[in-house]
Amino acid sequence: MTNHDERIEGLGRFSEPALYILISLAEGPKHGYAMTQDIAAVSGQALGPGTLYGAIARLEARKWIEALPAEERRRPYKITAVGKRVLHARLESLRTVARVGQVRLAGR
Amino acid sequence: MRLRAATMIRLYPRAWRARYGEEFLAILGDDDLTVQQLIDVVSGAIDARLSSDVQHAVGVGATQGGSTMLQSLLAGEKNSMRATKRDGLIGAAVMIGTSLLFSVLGGAAKRGGWLPPTMVESLLAMAFPAALTLSMPFWLMKGQPWKAQAMIVGGTLAMLLAIGWLRSAR
Repeated sequence: MTNHDERIEGLGRFSEPALYILISLAEGPKHGYAMTQDIAAVSGQALGPGTLYGAIARLEARKWIEALPAEERRRPYKITAVGKRVLHARLESLRTVARVGQVRLAGR
Repeated sequence: MRLRAATMIRLYPRAWRARYGEEFLAILGDDDLTVQQLIDVVSGAIDARLSSDVQHAVGVGATQGGSTMLQSLLAGEKNSMRATKRDGLIGAAVMIGTSLLFSVLGGAAKRGGWLPPTMVESLLAMAFPAALTLSMPFWLMKGQPWKAQAMIVGGTLAMLLAIGWLRSAR
């Protein structure tokens, strides 16, 4: 697949789960169950498996993550160099939004 | 609810199950699904059947630049649905016909005052998604087990009905 927009926002309703998955994998390779546990601990969001694998499939299609050899029933995933770049860009964008919001709140 | 992941995973396309099935089942375990999990699993199954991204990831029906449902329907491209061009045209006819039927019924109910205006509005808003859902067995889900078809179509129609009812009840 080519010409994918390198922005997480382009994933529509899967943008937020995809962001959480990339953040989780930025720490190191994880399988699906470990991702759901990590995401719940970090964000408080309980991702269902339908949503999780919908997002994983999209991230794999864009080559932002890749699967590693399966360990028993579980297949770990790792973030790719492109995935790190996309995540970095998104986090920078969120940082800007947060900064503007805080400045505006403080200005009231 | 006496539904388990091993049963519900049949709603997903074969290629998807081959790619993610084991991991998916490992996450859900052997316990009965909660209502929230059930909704998530059914939504995921619909997405797995409709999304060209997901099909690309599992190596089914991938086309350059992504394929739309309409392109798939008209081209009858290789896919898990095994639909021919004729199936696509039948599906399109069912979708358009049902959509028109809902619209005509909504319009008649509005003029005749048979239903409350909010319910008519909901009926008209749900016309296309309901028609698309009803057409799916003729093309998108062709060749899939009838139980899977019944669950996806019935589940989606039930959700649409619930949304319509909630809209009209507001």
